[in-house]
Order: sequence, then C-alpha cells, then structure tokens
Amino acid sequence: MFSYLIRRVLLGILTLVLITFVVYGLIRNMPGSPLDTDPRMTDPSRMPNPADIERMERLYGLDKPWYTAYFTWMRNMVVNRDMGQSFVHHEPVVTVIGEKFYPTLKLSVSSLTLTYLLSIPLGLYSTARSGRTDERIFTTVLYMLYSFPTFVAALFLQLLFAIKLAGTPFELPLFGMTSDGHAQMNAVQQAMDELRHMLLPVTCYTYGSLAYLSRFIKSNMEEAIRQDYIRTARAKGLGPFRVYVFHAFRNTLIPFVTLIGLSLPALLSGSIILEQIFSWPGMGRLFFESIGRRDYGVIMGLTLLFSVLTLLGQLLADMLYAFLDPRITFK
Amino acid sequence: MSISRILTQLLLGISLVIFLGCSSGNDTSETSDATSDTESTSSRSPDSSNPDATKKAESSDRTDDSEEPFVLGDLVEPFDPPALTEIESQVTWNDMPIKDSYELLKDRQASETPMASVEEALDLKNTDGEQNRKILSAMGRLPAATSEIDLDATWNRHTAGDVKSTNPMMMSSSAEFDVAGLTGFGLFGFDWTFEPFASTDTVISWQTSQNGLYDKVTMRNDLTWSDGTLITAHDVEFSYKVIMSSLVPVPAVRSGTEQLKYVKAYDDQTVVFFHKESLATNVWNINFPIIAKHVYENTISEDPTLEQSDAHAKLDADPVTGGPYVLVKRERGQEIELERRPSYYTFKGKEVRDKPHFKKVRFRIIEDPNTSLLALKRGDIEELQLTPEQWQTQTENEDFYDNNTKVYDIEWVYFYFGWNCDTVFFEDRRVRQAMGYAFDHQEMLAEHRYNMDQPCTGIFHYTSRWAPEVSPEPLLQDLDRAETLLEEAGWTDSDGDGVLDKDINGTRVPFEFSILVSQRQDRIDICNLLRENLENIGIICNVRPMEFTVLQDRARKHQFQAAFAGWGTGTDPDTSENLWTTKAIDQGRNYVKYSNTEVDALFEKGKRELDPEERRKIYQKIHLLLWEDQPYTWLFFRNAYFGFNKSLRGYNFSARGPYNYGPGEGAIFKPAVAF
Repeated sequence: MFSYLIRRVLLGILTLVLITFVVYGLIRNMPGSPLDTDPRMTDPSRMPNPADIERMERLYGLDKPWYTAYFTWMRNMVVNRDMGQSFVHHEPVVTVIGEKFYPTLKLSVSSLTLTYLLSIPLGLYSTARSGRTDERIFTTVLYMLYSFPTFVAALFLQLLFAIKLAGTPFELPLFGMTSDGHAQMNAVQQAMDELRHMLLPVTCYTYGSLAYLSRFIKSNMEEAIRQDYIRTARAKGLGPFRVYVFHAFRNTLIPFVTLIGLSLPALLSGSIILEQIFSWPGMGRLFFESIGRRDYGVIMGLTLLFSVLTLLGQLLADMLYAFLDPRITFK
Repeated sequence: MSISRILTQLLLGISLVIFLGCSSGNDTSETSDATSDTESTSSRSPDSSNPDATKKAESSDRTDDSEEPFVLGDLVEPFDPPALTEIESQVTWNDMPIKDSYELLKDRQASETPMASVEEALDLKNTDGEQNRKILSAMGRLPAATSEIDLDATWNRHTAGDVKSTNPMMMSSSAEFDVAGLTGFGLFGFDWTFEPFASTDTVISWQTSQNGLYDKVTMRNDLTWSDGTLITAHDVEFSYKVIMSSLVPVPAVRSGTEQLKYVKAYDDQTVVFFHKESLATNVWNINFPIIAKHVYENTISEDPTLEQSDAHAKLDADPVTGGPYVLVKRERGQEIELERRPSYYTFKGKEVRDKPHFKKVRFRIIEDPNTSLLALKRGDIEELQLTPEQWQTQTENEDFYDNNTKVYDIEWVYFYFGWNCDTVFFEDRRVRQAMGYAFDHQEMLAEHRYNMDQPCTGIFHYTSRWAPEVSPEPLLQDLDRAETLLEEAGWTDSDGDGVLDKDINGTRVPFEFSILVSQRQDRIDICNLLRENLENIGIICNVRPMEFTVLQDRARKHQFQAAFAGWGTGTDPDTSENLWTTKAIDQGRNYVKYSNTEVDALFEKGKRELDPEERRKIYQKIHLLLWEDQPYTWLFFRNAYFGFNKSLRGYNFSARGPYNYGPGEGAIFKPAVAF
C-alpha cells in the first residue's frame, strides 16, 4: 500500500505539472493581456509612451515567452514558495487567495454539511415511502427546486427577507459577511450576526443539491434493500429503522462516502453568481475576475489549488473506498 | 510487482528532472550601465549633473526587476535649476486664479432661483425633464450657513469596484478616484467647466511666467499630513521625482509629468515648475498626485513598485493622507471607511479651512447592480449610479421613493460605431458617411436609450466651449442617400445576389463585415439594429460580442473592421489627440487608423495656442473636420443617472458626473435636524 501511495503522489505531481503547464500556455496565449484592463493603462485621456508600456510589460513578465515565464513561475514557487504578485490586487497571490479561504469555507462547509444532513433523511424517507403519493409529491418538489436557478432564488429571497420583512424579527441582511458595528459586538452577538448573514447564501447554495443527493441515496438504497440479507433481517422481525438505517444504509455508505471525497474541490471553488449577488468575498468571484483581467498569477494559484484538491479528493475517495470495503485492496 | 516498481522509479526520475530544471533556470541579470549622475534618494544637489548622461537606459536584458538598483528621478533629463533670484530677475509673472470651488458654486447659485423648495422636490417623482430640473435645482442648493449642516453625519456611498490601492500615485480606477477625492492632497483643481485653478485650501499664490516656461506656487504653511508632519514643497518635488523614476509603475501619471522639464522646491513653501515648451496644456501637467516624502523616501528604494514590500503593504492598509479624510477601516472587497481628521482643517488649535461636511464616509463595495439597487432602497447605501433600465422600470414606485429620489444630468460620454479606415470597406469616406445615413438613430434613441440620452454629433458636446458655434445636425436615417454614397464609392450589386460588392484588384469583394462589441446586451442590441438597417441596403453585418479584454486587444492591434465602444472626456481637448492623430495609430488609441494631416497640424497648433478664443476655434475646426470624415458614426451621449437618499443635499453635476471636480463631493451634506 505504501508503494501505491508513493505512486499516486508522484503521478499526482506529474499531473499537476502537466495541468499547470497547459493552463499557463492557454492563458498566456489568450488574446488580451493584463495591460488591456489595468486602469493605470486604460485612461483614455492619457497616453503612456512606448518606453513606459515596455516597462509595464517587463513588470508583468510579459516580455518573456510563455514557456520561459512558466519555468520562472514554477521555480519561484518551488524554491522560494512565492507565487508572485497579483496584477489586479497589488498584493501577493498567496495573500489574495488566502483572504478568500475563510469566507468560501464558511459557506461551502455549512452548505455541504447541511446538504448531507438533510439529504440522508430525505433519501431514506423516499426509499421507505417509495411509490406512494406523498413520496411522489415530495420528489417532484425537490426536482422543481433543483431546476430553479440560484440567482433567481437569491433575488427573491433578498426581496422577501431584506426588503419586505425589513423591521420584523425575520429580517435578514441583504449582502456582505457582517453588519456595521460588528467589531463593537460581543462574541455571542458577533456569532449571531455572522450566522444571520450566512442564512440566505447558504440556503441558495444548498437547496439545489438536495434533489440530486437524496435521489442518489434512494437509488443506492433501492439496490441494497433487494438483497437477501435484508429479507433475512425482515424475516427475523427487525423494525424498519434497524433494517433501513442500520443494515441497508450502512452498505450504501461506500459510494456515498467516496462522493464526499470527490466533492473536496467544491469546498473551495465557490460560486461566481451567488458571491456577486451577496457581495461575498469568495473564490468563485476571484477566479472569474482573474480570468477576465488576465491576472496570470492568481489564475495559476487557483488552478494549482483546485488541481491539488481534486487529486487529493480522488486519492481520499480511493483510500476510503478500500478502507470501507474489505474486499478491495491496493494490489 | 516489478512493473509497478519500475513505474515508481520512472516517475521519481521525471519529477527530479523537472525539479532540477526549475531550480536552475536562467536568471542571469545583466546590470545595466547605471550612469553616474544619478542622485541618492534625497533631493538632487545642483552641481552633480553629468552632461553626457543620457536618459536612463532601459535595461532590456534584465530578467528580474529586483536586480536593478533604484534611482530616484532617473527619467528626468539632467538639468541644473537656477537660483530663484535668477529666475525672478529674468521673468515677468502673471497672476493665476486661486479659488475656493465651494464659494464659486455659492456665487453661481446666488444668481439662480431654485425652481422648487426642498419639501416640494422631495415629493416629486422624476418622470420628465421638467421634474428633473426642479429636483436638481432644489436639492443641489448649498446651505446658507454652516449651522444648517449636520457635521456629525455619516455618508454611505457605493462603489462597484474594489479599491486596490490607497497610494495616490497608484490610484487609477474610478473607485480609487472616489476615495482619492477625499484623502488626496493637491495644489490644483478645476471647476464644473473644467477651468483649472489653484485651491485656496492649499495655495497662497500661483503665478505663470509670461514666456510660459515657469509656474511658481507658494503653498500655505499650515498644511499637515495625517501623521502630523508638515506638508511642504519638498513633498511636491519628491513626488515629481518618484513619478519620473523608471522602476515606479505609473505610466498614466507620467504621461503628464514627463512633459515637465523639472520641479524644484526652493524652500518649504515655494515650488517652481519648469516647462520644456510654452504650451496651453502645461497647466494640466503640474497637477499630479503628491505623496509624503518623509514616509516614502525611506521605503521606495527597497520596493519601487510601491506595493510589494511589507512596509508598503502596511502603508497601503493605513496610509498617510494629506486630504480631509483618513482611512480608518478597510475590508477588501467589502467596504472602506474614512473619517474626517481635525488636523486637516485646524492648525495649532485654530480652524484654518472649512470643516468637511461629514464626520464619516463609508464606501460599500457591491458589484451586483440588482443588489446595489436593493441596498439603495433599504438605505444601506445613499447614492448609486443607475442604469437607464433601472431608471425606467425599477425606480418608479413607493419602494424607491420612500427613501430616495433620482436625478440625471449631461455627461460627456459618447458611444459610437468605429470604422477601421484601413479596410477595403471603410477606407472611403463616402462609405463611412453612408453608414451614418443607413442607421436608424431615432429608433436607437427611442427604443434602446428610452428617449433619455441625446444624439451625439461629434467629439465635443454642444454644451462644451470646444464645440462648434452651431453643432452639426444629428443624422437621420436616409437609406436613399446611403445607397447613393455607396454607389459613388463603387459599391453596387453587380451580380444581383442582394449584397453589394466591388471590384478590388480584380476580385469581386462582397460587402460583408464584422462589428465587435463587448458582451453587454444593451450594446449588442444596438449592433443588431445596425445589422437590420444594413440588410435593407444589401450589406451584411455580423455582430460579434466578445469579452472586453479581447475587444481591447483587437482594437489596439487594429485587428477589426468595425467596433462599438464609447469614450469619456478629458478636462482638456488636447487629451483627444491620442485618438485622432496619425502618430496615435501606433502610439495611441487611434484604433480606427484615421489619418488627416490637417487634423494633425491643428492638434499641434492647439497645444501651443495660448489665446483662449483662438484655441477654441482650432478645436471647433477639428470637430467639424472629424464630423465630415466620419471615422466614427457618433451615436449618443450618455447622461449620468443617479439615485440619492432623501437625506442628502448639495449634489451638483459637472460634465463628468457629480464627483471628482471642484467642489463635487465636497459640497454634499446632510441637513441638521431642524432643516
């Protein structure tokens, strides 16, 4: 197993190098450069002279061919642990990305936890009441939620909770992570304030995936309850809870848990639209803005981050799978 | 088993190779030929100039910026400034205007009668031009006395973009200019007609030499930075040198200061600006951002980019400001809070300048236009620039008018179709004129601009003093005239396929072209209107929406046939030189490759003409020449549409919006409770 791990890690590193190389080549060869959107260069009433344009190009590393620049980037990262400076934010790339960790994780961890916590009982309920009218209605409602666009839901929720219910105890904040005067609040009030700001974004993040995940659980459960050992359990007189949850559901945990491993990248990828609507300083908006502004340093930093997370997630899923299912080994 | 072992070792090997490859790499940095006349970071000593020293060589072989030593002011051509007494003996001085823009506005309003009272205006709904004028007229009135102002109020402002830098040298986006307007220090300003003046807040006297080569300013001696140090002329000279240092990335600001010959602080209060030539534009070159010498002279040589070192990062988070406000809180991507500092308007315990109206100004950063409008309606923000669609459909009802009102005014931002004059299609002026006649301007104004924006008939707005006495008539759709012009230019439907064509060098070329536009639906719709109009006369127009950056890239490289875009306006007409002259094709923003030697000559003349009336005539002529040649089909001027909370007063517009001119945001206030 150790050699399997080593092999996976090395293969992972090679994959990372390949991914970053290809992505860097792509973004450097995209038309447009950071200078095309840098406000220092685009004021129409001022025309920088050619020497200054050349200096800016040198500052941004645009005078080198992309493969040389790629190796410089790689070297800086590996040797100096420095991902360079963001052209747009005028801060180190590591700082820019690091600042977004906490806000993004706040939403994604809450949302993922909530999704799993809600989907499990929903999936089990669907299995137990499969085919009945109430289950059919329920599934239909979930699918309607699934197809309801998040940005429309966000707007409606804002209109309802921030505008219509303003002044009532049910009022929720319109945008942002904290209210004014947050720093002056005590610890409990601060926690409540942050929680209230999270409610609407987390709702928007969560409701769509409920249908998908509960359906996933249900289909796995359908297969599990058809097994002979379940018939035995029922014959032995075990109650529905013991049969469904204790026996059947546990055996569907394997694909379920590997799904958790694969959703590791989703923890930090954020959502461009929701972050924009709620003015939430997350990774999604950062990634989108960086691509549009050709902020190569940040794009590469984020690409590396997501690639590492994806590879780690896959490794984790494989490890968990082998761990949970004694029939699987690493040979 | 052995295969997996081989695989493992192979992968180990490859990884090692890559790692080694990265660790070595070529970072030979050739240090440049640093010439020896360069000074240390303190002010230049008069007799160290080396006449053979050329302008600092760009070390083009340098691969790593940090290798090259920082030299302050290395782009300044060596110059030995004469003693002040010598200048005084040789030069005749003309006094230049020193104004308080707030008083200027008061004077203007003294001669105007408000069209409604504030109470009436607050009840009005802005449904047409008449109501708009009433609201503007009433709400823009300045208070009769300071007692009418609530000096402890907070103003909640909005920006759509983040402030990436708080250093006045580096500030360049509109959000940054909004903050700089409150925290920055300057000697000069301009009023709503873009007339420059020196500010009574900071300047005692300003004189220009008769020969136009010197400007002398005597600063006040009661100015302090937010850390308590006095602001002196040495800060001005230092800032000039910082801008003129090759390693400092400030290309836009430098485009103005590089036209100066030198800036010298003769003592704490006296600074002289030396000009290379006597130009009408010199007055703008002396207006550049000023930073604190005592702060940056110690930190700049380690990090000329002004943003990378720890020291500069600290300064960015907590800057030393010279303006009325100081930064107290900054959450990136969320908000910025400024607070009024007593050390701005008081000196040694006495009040020496007008107290700024707001105790606190808070900028909320909200990118999403829908959320911004909801925030305005809730009162979370108290001002917002509205889109025409928001104006028309989302700000009509009680939910808006409960807390807010809205106003609009002229802004000199125009939108156009640009025709690449270096293509077989648009090289002929008649074809470009035909485009103007083919397009249905009336429909665009009515359907796409909601009858709110005005037609544009050239580069200067009819309210601008640079516009011709009689502005050209707006174009109206005239398909027959378009067809005639096209025929004259050689475009006919010779093969009867419904599409115009022309024989060019033996090949039959159909009139089919692409127009580039950014990915905004309102702009794409206008291009689609053009496409429909041109279909009627046998021209195929393909609309190509693309990402803004790509559009910029294509425009800069002249790799397009037609494009839809817009321009704002500079404070001086000479700023449009970089759009229309032949040299601006390669070195400027003359994306359409327009070239007219008469226009080139007129721009050169306009720079040098000091008589205001004569200068006006030059730019009026340029306007008319451009209108004849139609390198653009000018479409419309977009107004500035703003929503303001009902608690705000004192907002007045210039042709660049309600802010960033004198007095601009400085005039806005909230009335004290009794009012």
